[in-house]
Amino acid sequence: MSQVKVRRRVSSRFLASEVRLIAVRRRNQAGLAALAAVPVVIAVAMKVATPDSTGRGQGGGPDFFSQILSNGFFVALAGVGVELTLFLPIAIAMLAGDAVAGEANQGTLRYLLTVPVGRIRLLAVKYAGIVMGAFLAPLVVATSGILAGLLLFGGGDVTTLSGTSISFGAGLLRLLGVCLYLGVCLTALGAVGLFLSTLTEQPMGATIALTMLTVASFVLGQIPQLDWLHPYLLTQHWQDFGELLRDPVSLSALQPGLLTAGAYIVVFLCAAWARFAGRDITS
Amino acid sequence: MSGVFRSRPALRWLVPTAAAVVVIGGGAAAGTIAASADPTLPERSAAQLLVDVQSAKVDGLSGTVVQTADLGLPTLPGVTGGSGSGADLMKLVSGSNTARVWYAGEDKVRLALLGTLGETDVIRNGTDVWTWRSSDNSAVHAKIPADALTKKDKALPAGVPQTPQEAADAALAAVGPSTAVTTTGAAKVAGRDAYELVLTPKDAASLVGQVRLAIDGEKHIPLGVDVYAKGVDTPALRIAFQQVSFETPDPEQFVFTPPAGTKVTEPSAAELEKQHGSLDDKAAADAKAEAAGTKVVGEGWTSVLVATLPKEDGGSTAGKGQGADTAQLDAITNSLPKVSGTWGSGRLLQSALFSALLTDDGRVLVGAVAPEKLYEAAGK
Repeated sequence: MSQVKVRRRVSSRFLASEVRLIAVRRRNQAGLAALAAVPVVIAVAMKVATPDSTGRGQGGGPDFFSQILSNGFFVALAGVGVELTLFLPIAIAMLAGDAVAGEANQGTLRYLLTVPVGRIRLLAVKYAGIVMGAFLAPLVVATSGILAGLLLFGGGDVTTLSGTSISFGAGLLRLLGVCLYLGVCLTALGAVGLFLSTLTEQPMGATIALTMLTVASFVLGQIPQLDWLHPYLLTQHWQDFGELLRDPVSLSALQPGLLTAGAYIVVFLCAAWARFAGRDITS
Repeated sequence: MSGVFRSRPALRWLVPTAAAVVVIGGGAAAGTIAASADPTLPERSAAQLLVDVQSAKVDGLSGTVVQTADLGLPTLPGVTGGSGSGADLMKLVSGSNTARVWYAGEDKVRLALLGTLGETDVIRNGTDVWTWRSSDNSAVHAKIPADALTKKDKALPAGVPQTPQEAADAALAAVGPSTAVTTTGAAKVAGRDAYELVLTPKDAASLVGQVRLAIDGEKHIPLGVDVYAKGVDTPALRIAFQQVSFETPDPEQFVFTPPAGTKVTEPSAAELEKQHGSLDDKAAADAKAEAAGTKVVGEGWTSVLVATLPKEDGGSTAGKGQGADTAQLDAITNSLPKVSGTWGSGRLLQSALFSALLTDDGRVLVGAVAPEKLYEAAGK
């Protein structure tokens, strides 16, 4: 190594600028607004359709929907459940696809690297931005759901899946747990997205690829003949967030999901590094 | 280190590859290490183990039970894949079910059958029996009359063994002169040292290769049952504790108060009585049916159940839903391969563990035997 080692304190300015960049981007703001809108739409639709749906009988809708009428809390859960299969992954895919490929596409990547910012640091900062997005997205959905639900249906004690009642506050705590768990799951998806983003200079390509991967993973998870493959699928344990709504909560049931997410994070961050650190930056 | 990567950039790819190998291999290895761990338990004969099991007594336990099935069934239309009741049915025969159990003596039992985003609970606390279904927010509250406590076994739902204990009892009932009972080296189930009792059918015609019972080394209760089909080294059926603790659960575990907004059905004592009565009636009817058309050919592991299907009496009893069920059933039947022989003709359902024959003259033959044995029975 011929270069002179300069010990500098790693400043947080790069990270701060990245976060600002993500936050002020119109498409990110619009995406977040779309995420927040879904629970509101659900709540309004349930409110408007009330006489009909009660007449039709119970248990007809997807999970948590039947309980919305009696407790606004479940708007948040229904929202998270509905968005988990497509909207949330798309949001992360947008963010992750943009991370490196977006800079490359705009021709700003080489300037970033001449600043001088090390490539590992660049990846780390980009990933940190994705992680923040991954935790923020489910929280936004849940918050919007709680607000819409409280406004239209009111609160009250929350019924767990096991048929016990917990206070609304305890319910909110469970909901926070659900958001954190899904945040970890989406963080793993973001790691795959970061890797895809280093492969191309077209952010859209990385975004679409990641969305397709997610959908494919969900579809493969539905096919019983492929059960040998299921433990390796990224999305296999996402629905396990329901474990947090049982009484008593068995945290060990969340373990497979967290381990899978951890494995994906390690492997794909390594892959992103292997690709990015050795790549010629031409744009 | 980074010098190597700088001069040979392709080598960088070794890092994610190694990470993937470690992660995937690590997961697999963790399983094998746990399985091959050799516990040191004092030796016990098969007979001793059987007695241990019969006299085992625990004051309380809680744990997670996982049931998996891989019966090697052919793909059936409307049953395999998809969603709804068909998928639920399919999960029983090729898939896995998870239940959490709590037990604190005979009169405090709770069983929670876990669905992806739902749960069905059966809770018994003294004379109260609650059934809770999260899918439709409903609960059924039944009271066991005090005088019925002695014959309570009848009140419990029969059918698929729900706990290892039940499954083991069922397996033990089959033990007889037809079975070779041995023990193998110790096994490890749910992280606990366990004896393994191996039941091997002596009759070569049986499709069942082995039934393996894991018995806890200390508490002597069955921790798991594996049923192996002949010549297959992964279990076709498995019910086992994934995690178990022998601490008596908190009494609160068994208290069920229906949450607000729950539809609670409380069958009155008279209704319950009627149900019991109809159960008895049903038993009587079954007995009658047995006299009429149902018989068992052969004995032990290779016995074949021969039943005559009730004549299809159209829509008199069947509602619309049942009509759809019948249509689905027909579709399934028609997808099965046709077979014929001196005994007649029919359709055959074959799996790793059992065969079923539906003859054109309306008989059903089921047994844990090869199809030839069924044909033989059909010819009688």
